[in-house]
Amino acid sequence: MAVLVKKVELNWLDRTYVWPVLVGMAITMKHFLRQITTRSSRRFTIPYPDRKRATAEGYRGLHELKRFEDGSIKCVACFMCAEACPARCITIEAEEYGDINKTQGFEEKRPSVFRIDMLRCIYCAMCEEACPKDAIWLRTDYEQASYDRLSMKFGKWDLMNTYADQDGKPRITGDPTPTVPRPPVEG
Amino acid sequence: MESLSSLLHLMPETFWMIVKVLIVFVGTLTLAALLTWAERRGSAMIQDRIGPNRALLFGRWRLLGLPQLAADGIKFFLKEDLVPAEASRTLFWLAPVLAFVPAVMGFAVIPFGRSFAQGGHHYHLSLLDPGNGMGMLYPLAVGAVAVYGILTASWSSNNKWAILGGMRSAAQMVSYETAMGLAVVAVFMRTGGYDPQQIIAAQGVWNVLPQFPGFLVFFTCMFAETNRLPFDFAEGESEIVAGFHTEYGSMKFALLQLSEYLHLVTAAALIVTLYFGGWRIPGLAEPPVLLSVAAFAVKLLFFCWVFIWVRWTVPRFRFDQLMFLGWKVMLPLGLANLLLQAWLMHGGA
Repeated sequence: MAVLVKKVELNWLDRTYVWPVLVGMAITMKHFLRQITTRSSRRFTIPYPDRKRATAEGYRGLHELKRFEDGSIKCVACFMCAEACPARCITIEAEEYGDINKTQGFEEKRPSVFRIDMLRCIYCAMCEEACPKDAIWLRTDYEQASYDRLSMKFGKWDLMNTYADQDGKPRITGDPTPTVPRPPVEG
Repeated sequence: MESLSSLLHLMPETFWMIVKVLIVFVGTLTLAALLTWAERRGSAMIQDRIGPNRALLFGRWRLLGLPQLAADGIKFFLKEDLVPAEASRTLFWLAPVLAFVPAVMGFAVIPFGRSFAQGGHHYHLSLLDPGNGMGMLYPLAVGAVAVYGILTASWSSNNKWAILGGMRSAAQMVSYETAMGLAVVAVFMRTGGYDPQQIIAAQGVWNVLPQFPGFLVFFTCMFAETNRLPFDFAEGESEIVAGFHTEYGSMKFALLQLSEYLHLVTAAALIVTLYFGGWRIPGLAEPPVLLSVAAFAVKLLFFCWVFIWVRWTVPRFRFDQLMFLGWKVMLPLGLANLLLQAWLMHGGA
């Protein structure tokens, strides 16, 4: 298929080339003056590590595992997120902790291991949608980098503390209710 | 002046010469270095960017990105100095010097201030005193030699792109030198001499007004002469990688780059001297010496900025367009200007 090239008729002023260049120089000077008189906070470029852009609402950043006020995890280890995850990056191992849960009254299952491989994760937030307990959500942090693969595997306590400093919550490293092994079933 | 020179056990003439050499060399080299900064920051501003601002002085002061100069300098010094295996070693080493030396030399006859008399001595603010017999022919001749640096660099690199760049640069230089010569001849003609002091003294009205076509030709040719956009065919990143300095690295590259900016300074000085009255200030017949130096500096800086400004406005020409412009526009325009000036000198009738 032949391409039709449109030839532009230039008037005599444009043919001199001098005038269009002057017009162009006026444009560049306008940009120059505007940029040089603009405060650096109002320029298009955000000087990134010094200043960070506010993430939009609904941004899918680093995950957080939510907790109750007493510090116990909201997750009930139902595996819904692991099933929903298209990247298969969530590993959960469930545990039972005591016959009657004194802290919340109705839950008796929680993850002993909750691991997300951040190198696999595609930040689609399907886990957040799948979660029946709203125990996992994707928030604003987008700076995940490390020197080795192992530190990109976020464990249960990493995930519960991802936004602890930002929210002013204490960092937690243990469940408030200790794991009580069930007595072995007789017979 | 006298007492200072006697303090150093020097003849006043010798002392004055040393002072002038220091002023000119340190001044132009500093200006060339600062221009690289102005180029990067200025282009950034023109393109709504920010430009280099990450290098900090002592890890603290940002100074509008000026520490970048020092950082670059240190980097260039410490980089490994590679010579391609198939390159002609001697010429490869010689080329940056060949490019750099004429670039520094060009400034020698440019008067950067009004001459003055003190204690029975005449002091001229140019490296070579007026009446040296070379006058403005000297910077033009030296400027023409500068292309040998580029040619040597491109030939000795033994690299296709470098050769292409060098060839294009040589062809461009030849095409534009003629037109430039014609424009300058018109100035000499109207002045009645080619000494820079004479040319400046004759510019009661700056030459740019009566000789506007000549100025246009000279100005354009200066872009070709300094190998700057829109005529930087020696480099031409989009077509031939980096052109003549494709194979160059470390301090040799820095020298080539610095000589380009020195050319820019010299070109700006030539434009100012030939067409914008050198150190003259309109309305002031005999400005104070310092004021005249300041006037020259302001004009010089303005034209340096214009070089940068044009670079970031006009895209590169195609090579045939360059040749067309050189031979079919600039040369006739220069000739027409020459004839016009001759006719005006004859009496205009």
